[in-house]
Order: sequence, then C-alpha cells, then structure tokens
Amino acid sequence: MARADAGAELIRVEARPMALDGPAFETAYRAHAPRLRAVAYDVLRDRDAAEDAVHGALMRVWSAGAYHPERGPLLPYLIACVRREALDAVRGSKRRHLREVRAGAGAPLAVDETAAIDPIETRRVARALESLSDVQRDVIVRAYYGHRTLAEVAHDTNLPLGTVKSRLGAALRRLHTELTEGFR
Amino acid sequence: MNHLDDDAELYALGLTERERSAEIEAHLAACPDCRTRVIAAEAAAAALASTLPPMPAAAPRRAWWPALAAAAALVFATTTVTEGIAVRARGAEAARTDVALTAIASSHFGHTTLSADPGVVVKALYARDGAWCYVVATGAPRGAHVMIRRGTATRDAGALGDGSPATLFLRQPGRADEVSIVAGERVVAHGVPVY
Repeated sequence: MARADAGAELIRVEARPMALDGPAFETAYRAHAPRLRAVAYDVLRDRDAAEDAVHGALMRVWSAGAYHPERGPLLPYLIACVRREALDAVRGSKRRHLREVRAGAGAPLAVDETAAIDPIETRRVARALESLSDVQRDVIVRAYYGHRTLAEVAHDTNLPLGTVKSRLGAALRRLHTELTEGFR
Repeated sequence: MNHLDDDAELYALGLTERERSAEIEAHLAACPDCRTRVIAAEAAAAALASTLPPMPAAAPRRAWWPALAAAAALVFATTTVTEGIAVRARGAEAARTDVALTAIASSHFGHTTLSADPGVVVKALYARDGAWCYVVATGAPRGAHVMIRRGTATRDAGALGDGSPATLFLRQPGRADEVSIVAGERVVAHGVPVY
C-alpha cells in the first residue's frame, strides 16, 4: 500500500468507532507498531519483552471490544497503554534483572527506521520541558525518562508522596499547555 | 466515583497501579470531563514518547550463529510440514513473533474470541485463506495445547509458548472448524473461526 493511501486509510479508521479488528487493526498496527515498540523498549531494554508488551497492550485494547474516537486520538492512547503494559512487566516480574543485565550490553547497529526521531519535534518537546519550573521538570524527567515509580521519585527527591503526585500532575498539564500553545 | 484529579495525569504517565487503572478506564467511559483531561495528558505523554529512540534491530549475529541457524531452518522446515511451530529456544521465540506479525500485517485476517474459563482470554487471529493462525492467550495454564479441528479430525497443533501473553503461530493450519485450548484433559477455551 502506498504511503499516502495508508495515511488516508488511517484517518478513515480513526474517524469512526471501530472494533480494533481485521483491516482496522491491521492498519493501526502497521502505522503505529514502530513507535509503540520504541516506547516499550525504552522501559524494558529487551526486544522480545518489548514485542510482548506491545502485543499485550493491543490485546487488552482489543479484548475491551472497541475503540471509540471520543476516547481520544488512537496513537497517544495506545502509547499510554503500551507504557503501562511495559512498566507492569518490568515491575511485576523478574525481568528487571534481565533489563539491568542487558542495558549494559553493547548497542546494536541498526534501528527501526520507521520510528526515527523527528528532530523538530524533539526540539519542541525539549523547549516545553525547559519552560517547566525546575522542580516540575525534575519529577517528570525522573518519572518518565527514568522509569521511576511514584514511591521511588518520592524517595529520591525526599518529598512526600502527595507532593510528588500533585507536582507531576501540574508538570504534565503545563507541558500540554506549552505544546499546544507553543509554536512561538 | 469522584473525578480523577491528578490521577488523570498519573494514569497517562503509567504511574497508577493496575487495579486503579481499571477503575480509571471505567470512570472515563462515563465522565467526559475526566476524559478530556486524560486525553490532554496522553497527548503530552505521547510528546515525551516521541523523543525516545527507536527499538534497535536484532543484535549482530555471532560467529556460531550460521550453523545454528541452518539447524533451526531444518527443524523449522520439518515442523512446518507436519505440525505447528512450538519451539522453545528464545531466539526461535522471537522469530516466531516476527513471522506472526509479518503475516498479520500482510494479509486479510479475521479473529475470534474463544469461550474460555474465567480469567482466561484467548483470541485466535487467522488468515481467511487458512494460511496461518495465531493464537494469543492470557491466563491459560502453562503448557496448554492448541487443538485444531477440521471436520471430524482433531489434531494437536502444539503447546502455547511461555510468554505473556502466551502465543502459538501455526502455518498452514487450513480453515479450522474449531480452535480449542486444552490443558491436560480439560478444554479451557474453544471457539469457531468464521471465514
């Protein structure tokens, strides 16, 4: 399928309520799998475990029966699902050890090019992060890029759990505001 | 249930416990305000995700790999002809996943949810032409087997893998009349594909 056609098909798929099955599932999977794998791999540092997490998350969405557009755009929703799945996997199992062992291994040569980082988007996100207060940026970076749990962030920063929660909430809301209002 | 407050953002960041996440998702179905808030939070979290590097391709193969690959290819060819692929080696497990995804992404397929015991969810994805069938199970007993019935003949297609979810990819199973999951003597799930 030509790339333009795939894009048009994806828009069509995402514009209506759908059971994530058959061609709709196939289209969504084809379009989004590289990004979803990147999200899972970031947490798990293991290719097989990352594939499992993507499968597991899609299975959950799928088992729930249907995806409705009012739940929000498909990709951010799936990214959140995959990240939860990956964090559950790494926290709930012995894979943490595996991850730590593998994280030290040499970096492989090739990457999944279709999920290549967009430098403009990266700069936009970096600017938005810079706009946060130091304390907000600190908790969001620890939690998101450091994969720390709420309790771990509280421990590391010596803050009460409630403060960590409210600070993270405020940080993400601010980030969203910056990203949506930001083309300055 | 009360509104989500900061849990909306924590949920989008993957920082809520699994039980709480299920409550949140249920709440979202009924609460447009919280849904709006979670959607915004997920958009911001997706922006953070957009800066993550892609998953690396498989690591370069070591010197001993070609011989092993040749042996694996032979086993693969043999099992392909006779039975489903239920290999245990980790490398082979990954290959199976890739084969499954490639098959799914490149052909029209249907799917069915099997009727299953409580706590067990089994889906079968299958090519409409019978070229492959991919069974994905969560909560099935370890070592459960996939049985394929065509007409009056039922055959054991092999054991589900050890992963979570557990999977089994079958090549050329034909158009099955029934797919079931059996643990010991017990049928824990069964269903009928529609082609």
